Amino acid sequence: MKKRLSVAIAMALTLALVLGAVASCGSGPKMTDKVTVWCWDPNFNVYAMKQAAAVYNKANPGVTIEIVDMAQDIEAKIISGLQANGAGLPDVALFQDFRIEQFLTDYPNAFVDLKAEGVDYSQFAAYKVGPMTVGDKVYGIPFDTGSTGLWLRTDYIQAAGLNPDAYMGKNLTWSEVIELGEQVKAKTGKPLLAYQSDNFDMLRIVVQSTGGQFFKEDGSLNLRSDAFRKSLALFKELNDKGLLYQVVGWSDWINAINSDTSAGFLNAIWMVGSVKSRPENAGKYMVVPTPLIEGVAGAANASNNGGSSWYVFSSSKNKARAVDLLKSVWATATPENLEFYNTILKDAGAMGTFLPSQSGSNYTANDSFFYKGQALSRDFASWMANVPTLKYTPHYVPMRDAVAHATLNYFQGKIATIDDAIAAAEAEYKQVTGN
Amino acid sequence: MSMVRNWSAGRVLALVVLLAATVISVFPFVWMVVGSTLNPNDVLRGNLMPGAEFASNWAKATKSYNLPLFFWNSLKIAILTVVFGLLVNGFAAYGFEKYPSKARDRVFNVLLLTLIIPQIALVIPMFRMFAFMRLLDSHAAIVLPSIMSVFIIFFMRQNFKMFPTEIIEAARADGAGELAIFLRIVTPSMQATYVSSAIYIFINQWNSYLWPLITILSDAKKTMPIAISSMMNAYTIEYGAIMVIVCISVLPVLILFLALQRQFVAGLLGSVK
Amino acid sequence: MKKKATYQRYLNQFGWMCVAPSIVLFCLFMLYPILSSLYYVTRRWKGMTNTFIGLGNFIRMGQDKVFQAALGNNFLFMLFQIPLMVFLALLLAVLLNQGIRRFKGPFRLAIFLPAVTSLVVVSVLFRVLLQENGMLNNVLIKARLIAEPIGWLNDAFWAKVTIVLAMTWRWTGYNMVFFLVGLQSIDPEIYEAAEVDGASKARQFFRITIPLLVPVILFSVVTSTSGTMQLFDEPNILTWQGGPANATMTAALYIYRQAFFVNADFGYATAMSYVVVLISGIFAFIQMRLLGENRKAK
Repeated sequence: MKKRLSVAIAMALTLALVLGAVASCGSGPKMTDKVTVWCWDPNFNVYAMKQAAAVYNKANPGVTIEIVDMAQDIEAKIISGLQANGAGLPDVALFQDFRIEQFLTDYPNAFVDLKAEGVDYSQFAAYKVGPMTVGDKVYGIPFDTGSTGLWLRTDYIQAAGLNPDAYMGKNLTWSEVIELGEQVKAKTGKPLLAYQSDNFDMLRIVVQSTGGQFFKEDGSLNLRSDAFRKSLALFKELNDKGLLYQVVGWSDWINAINSDTSAGFLNAIWMVGSVKSRPENAGKYMVVPTPLIEGVAGAANASNNGGSSWYVFSSSKNKARAVDLLKSVWATATPENLEFYNTILKDAGAMGTFLPSQSGSNYTANDSFFYKGQALSRDFASWMANVPTLKYTPHYVPMRDAVAHATLNYFQGKIATIDDAIAAAEAEYKQVTGN
Repeated sequence: MSMVRNWSAGRVLALVVLLAATVISVFPFVWMVVGSTLNPNDVLRGNLMPGAEFASNWAKATKSYNLPLFFWNSLKIAILTVVFGLLVNGFAAYGFEKYPSKARDRVFNVLLLTLIIPQIALVIPMFRMFAFMRLLDSHAAIVLPSIMSVFIIFFMRQNFKMFPTEIIEAARADGAGELAIFLRIVTPSMQATYVSSAIYIFINQWNSYLWPLITILSDAKKTMPIAISSMMNAYTIEYGAIMVIVCISVLPVLILFLALQRQFVAGLLGSVK
Repeated sequence: MKKKATYQRYLNQFGWMCVAPSIVLFCLFMLYPILSSLYYVTRRWKGMTNTFIGLGNFIRMGQDKVFQAALGNNFLFMLFQIPLMVFLALLLAVLLNQGIRRFKGPFRLAIFLPAVTSLVVVSVLFRVLLQENGMLNNVLIKARLIAEPIGWLNDAFWAKVTIVLAMTWRWTGYNMVFFLVGLQSIDPEIYEAAEVDGASKARQFFRITIPLLVPVILFSVVTSTSGTMQLFDEPNILTWQGGPANATMTAALYIYRQAFFVNADFGYATAMSYVVVLISGIFAFIQMRLLGENRKAK
């Protein structure tokens, strides 16, 4: 009997030890006045939030603001955290504008209504406020714009025996760009554009510049448009003429740009940070307006890619502080805050959509990092006014992936015609969403 | 035997094939060490002469990533899993093997049956369960489910079979208690089995990816493989810094392997005998 | 007599106590998840809410070509990678065992080395090596074996090749060690007898070595099959989320993406994981049968 008892105790102890010791390694940190922010891109969002934190800490020295670079895992981690009722989630997170509608629809109680917290949304660009509004609630603090342009390496254009000045500031058509690309390729061997072959961004830029939409007003898929067909045909032509340097994955794309593999790329103002992160790029780049597809009604020499906004989670244990950080720095027009917006514009190309900030000196100043000191921000801002708006819907991501996949297969000859590519994209969208 | 003939054509061919296999097997290791001393472009191009950038790669790796923390997290998780895994599975294997009973054999067969269930099928309900238990984003969520391992129980049981039951019975006749027999007589003589199991558990946990990828959310909880995979997802990729981190993550297993080759192989081979 | 029965009962109880912790953990982290998945599989998730849809998830799966193609990829990798790896491992094992006399240890050590790396590390290394302007393409171009860089990661066909290569690099040495153990357990006298009978080396290999190694080969095929059925790390990191255009998407990766990455559709993901379990079960059953028949034949 005694033996049995001691054995039982030993066994119970073993199990208790296992469960106890293991559970204890999950114990939480000490409570301090701390706000954790999740975002991505050290040269851009992380940098911008660090500057904002510095401004905030001047007035509130006791507050710790931890900024975490979550890279491209951020939405996956947020989904998991929301499913676990907020476990592991930060106080504040940055969301792509195209992604937020999915979260606001699927997790209606997960975010703090910032309108109720007194944020004045008339001070922000209206197109940014749309996707973050549900009924009379508004959930985010709009951050940056993704006004796009065609980034060109002037040194390669010169090496091809051409004068970059002939292209500077010009509203080009895609046929002119293709001609330029062929000359550069012939002389320097460099493809014109670094292209992420599994990614949708460039196609989106072109489609949006034509005024096209991926979704109809009722939210259903809308790929059978002239704009979409013409855009796909354009990409096929670029591809077939060898003008695309193809990589897989975002980080390899950035790497391609910063290792002299191509003579340029098509993307938004927020690439400034990544381009500037490499000193050897100094003086080489110029940006011209987004090229135009001929023969599409409503097309413009302007488009948009990306752009994101800040949100506070309802699960935050330091909600008031998190709201205060966003409100008092990002949404209040004090001289310090405007200077903050002015700084991040120059250093990272973070062009805020907080309207009072757009009178900052760097909006018009020349930037000596670029070819002939191009006033990059001024140019991007002027193109921004012409950008046609794009409808996102909660199903933007499955649409994006389906279209990217079909496009790639079309490029590689696995899908024969544009109509087949559209049908393939529609089919995948339907299968993946189950709608 | 004809094999004893001198340098035949066959022998030379064999040597060439083996040398080629050796080069292919070892090259990536050399390359990753060299890569940690190069700038990103040279890593990519495949420069094989060591460069002078190790310090700056190290600085980049430790500046943007809390490398010591990730390493410590991985180590802590792996060691906890080993300690509890040996304890729980050792007892279980001993119980199944040395206390024969029909009922326990049936239980054991049920355990064996679950070996065919792929991990991907378990992670979804497990995720729901840990979310409900509020244990998500904790190291407990990684350690707890990996303590009990049917494979380790099976492997240890095979080895306990070789321990003579007569010795146990003799000890009983001398009046030793069951627990004492196991801890003082059986365990010490099964050291090799424990070492092999420990290595197996350690490596499995050190390298594990899918489950930590699902359960770890915040930066402070990341393990080495998760850190590496999120570096590959970063917006700016630093190949030199990645090589530094890759080297560090391979190092512990490499040391284990070189120091304890025989037990290491026995552990990986497990129950093939 | 009664005393002995009590003692037997005590021993039995001690036996239960030994296995109790593992059974508790088993129930918590194996049995309960399996049982609760029976509930999830009938539901459709939308954010935090879910609704009963009966067999709806399975009907959806029947129409989901992405999932079907992902399963197809699992089979494809199995079909090409396992025979390639088993052949190479067998070749290396035989050469190591019979082809050379010295340096067996160092060769074995070197060829086994890839098995110490994690799949994450393998994926990272190969992803850097196989960039379009990466090392392998540079070497091949310099050696004039190819004129244009190969799209190891960009092209649907080559991306599949890449996965097979990475898996083969990681696992060949590991399986070779299995075969070496098997080879060393073969009694040399059998070969000597064959030698006396005048059997050629090739004949010895096919008539003695291979038949005696069948159990080991089968074991290696069984573990590789179940590993390939769960393929996840490589397509997620090496070929970037199953790219290009889902060309290397696998069942496990697609399930992960539906449950944790793009959506939190636990119901649909569970339904798909049932199919993976079913297929793994069928494979295991067939292979165990083969193994059993092989044992009987002896």
